Amino acid sequence: MKAEDKKPSRRERLAKKIKTNLSMTVRELFEQIDEDRSRPKAMAYFDSIFKNFTGGGENVVQVPEGQKVIGTYCVFVPEELVYAAGAHPVRLCAGTYESSEVGEEYLPDVACPMVKSEMGLETMPILDFYQKCDLVALPGSCHWKLKMAEMLEERKPVHVLDVPRIKERENSRQYWLEEVKNFKAAVEKTTGTRITRKTLKGAIRTVQAAQVEVHRFFELRKAIPAPILGRDALAVMNAYFYDDVSRWAAALAELNDELEQRIAEGVHVAPASSARILLTGSPMVFPNWKVPMIIEDLGGVLVADEFCTSQRYLSDMVAMDEGTLNDMMMAIAERYVLPCSCPMFSNTLERRDKLLQLIEEAQVEGVIYHILKGCHPYDIELKMMEKLMQDKGIPMLKIETDYSPQDVEQLRTRIEAFQETLRGRRRVQ
Amino acid sequence: MNVQRLRLISQFVFFVLLTYGGLFAIDLGSRMPTFSCAFVPDNGGSCFLIGFQHMLSRPLPEFLGEQGIRLLKSLGIVALWAVVINKAWCGWICPFGLMQDLLTRLRNLVFIDMSRFGWVTRKRYKSVKYILLALLILIPLGIGNGVPGLSRDWTAPFCQMCPARPLMPLFRGDFSEFHIDFSSWPGLALTTIAVILVGLLFTSAFVKRRFLCSYCPMLAVLSLFDKVGFLSLNKDGQKCTRCGNCSRACPMEIREIEEEKTLSNLVTQDCILCLKCIDACPENQALEARFLGMPIYTASAEGFLKRQNVDLLRLKRKKKR
Ligand code: SF4
Ligand code: SF4
Ligand code: SF4
Ligand code: SF4
Repeated sequence: MKAEDKKPSRRERLAKKIKTNLSMTVRELFEQIDEDRSRPKAMAYFDSIFKNFTGGGENVVQVPEGQKVIGTYCVFVPEELVYAAGAHPVRLCAGTYESSEVGEEYLPDVACPMVKSEMGLETMPILDFYQKCDLVALPGSCHWKLKMAEMLEERKPVHVLDVPRIKERENSRQYWLEEVKNFKAAVEKTTGTRITRKTLKGAIRTVQAAQVEVHRFFELRKAIPAPILGRDALAVMNAYFYDDVSRWAAALAELNDELEQRIAEGVHVAPASSARILLTGSPMVFPNWKVPMIIEDLGGVLVADEFCTSQRYLSDMVAMDEGTLNDMMMAIAERYVLPCSCPMFSNTLERRDKLLQLIEEAQVEGVIYHILKGCHPYDIELKMMEKLMQDKGIPMLKIETDYSPQDVEQLRTRIEAFQETLRGRRRVQ
Repeated sequence: MNVQRLRLISQFVFFVLLTYGGLFAIDLGSRMPTFSCAFVPDNGGSCFLIGFQHMLSRPLPEFLGEQGIRLLKSLGIVALWAVVINKAWCGWICPFGLMQDLLTRLRNLVFIDMSRFGWVTRKRYKSVKYILLALLILIPLGIGNGVPGLSRDWTAPFCQMCPARPLMPLFRGDFSEFHIDFSSWPGLALTTIAVILVGLLFTSAFVKRRFLCSYCPMLAVLSLFDKVGFLSLNKDGQKCTRCGNCSRACPMEIREIEEEKTLSNLVTQDCILCLKCIDACPENQALEARFLGMPIYTASAEGFLKRQNVDLLRLKRKKKR
């Protein structure tokens, strides 16, 4: 073997550099988070998952030898089907700034930072589990994602799900049901396992059991004064991306118990005087916790969110009725699309009502609308939501940003001013 | 307690009460808006439709006098019954509903898939029950007023074709109504329809839920009182995510229950107040059944998960043993 062959290529060197940078980002982030002594103890479990993002992330996704891993993008991939086939779903939506540079080779400058980040991770060995997927399921929810599917096709098995944009029609529902059936077939092919009535029912029950804790969690999160910070809540939901559903649910149950005890004992993470804020808009994925870190460092507290990476992800539930395979397939298909408040759909009805309901239930004082530069669906709805909040008399701050740390200071100033406004309003009342 | 189980018990109790009640001197009258058939000997209360048709087969001027008062009185009782529990007559009492629900349960036990109407078809079928109701009123009136072509054999034309007539007396060991009447053409046609409908009752349940109810003229009568009934089904549109669970679970395939965001009272034309939609609704307080405005059954995420996991618990217990 010649000496040059052993020398790492330019790409390999770049990958190594990115890995090192990412590890550093993760360490720094947790240094900051660990300073907070008031966090619930049960958060340690979820932290450990993210701490594994260092050094190539070999331990982020832990599956038994031989179990198939199916990568998913967006909330539209019916995970019950993956579980029913004995495979492990991993949500691949990414928040790593470090890999965006690589992604830019494939995408225009104005592309959303999330797809850039994802393209980087998909095309370069930075995080181990992106390379481990036996199938990647990609709903064409926005055009960036749809085209990403095509770009990935030459590298790995990809299955595109076509989500209908108009939910209220019979034909789009039938179409979507067929799409879900196609996905079922793709999962069966990848895993070599047939999904039966029994396995599917088992999978539905497994997810529902986790949802018992999810709903409990969101209820507890609303308490005044807040027993847990919003960034920790985001982390809990984000950890589900990678973890085994039952293991995760058990950890969440422990956290819930702790929160219950905290509420009973009056232990809190933010005093009752903290401005209660709701986050909505483009999703935030680890380690892009820039905005929530700033908000809560400045004394505000995030008491609810409407993110597809958090509260929207696991709230809606499959309703089994007659228990035949077809009945379950229909129930699953509808659960993933009909109640979803994603801006990809033709109307904003679900989103409006969801926001107003969250604001009411969690006694929210102000809304922060987060837009990732290039994330068109959320950008397009901004004005409508602004109008809605105006009509309801809820102050709203729009933040347009990306994954780079450059604008932190500027964001800090704006968010501080916003929180000052909220406090001022409270004084007046 | 699981509401659907409660409903089944209620249906059973009323089935026994109405079919055998006469044996224990129970008599709830013959003005009931439900298919407890008057042809059942010694019943404990029976369907008002037969008397109604007889009363109608009179010359029109008679209705200005005593006959009219008799008719109004009788309809008043029906209205009273209907206002008090609204469509719960169909969901909780009607023996015909019970039979369809039992057969559906049987179908579920053997995991046979059901089919659904297309949305447009479903809408179109809604009018059938009104056509039947109109005929049920017009034919007896026609007979009473000597409209040519209508024979006396048709007096209670709906009863001739009603599947309850041949079927329900069977539970009392009375087979006399289970026959086809060859004595006249209209008799032959109508009694044949009745027997076919009995067959349909048993077969359709393996294809669709509450198939016969979608044509039932009794439902048309009851739905006159939809919005004034003491028992109501209410929705809080803002809490609803339009997830579609309710309309999927609805045996009558009602779409409004999912689609409606602004109306509060959602007892719709075809609703039978079975409350399966509330069972299936995962959103806190999105749906609620009320009696005289007081909540009696409310949708909640917690309740939803409990109901969904009933057999999960059972499985666990099995494994432990
Ligand atoms: S035959 Fe039908 S309509 Fe006539 S009394 Fe019996 S149940 Fe009522
Ligand atoms: S609609 Fe069904 S339940 Fe109601 S009266 Fe008619 S047959 Fe009975
Ligand atoms: S089940 Fe509940 S939340 Fe879903 S559409 Fe029906 S009423 Fe709305
Ligand atoms: S709307 Fe609800 S109560 Fe009415 S028939 Fe349908 S499921 Fe039953």
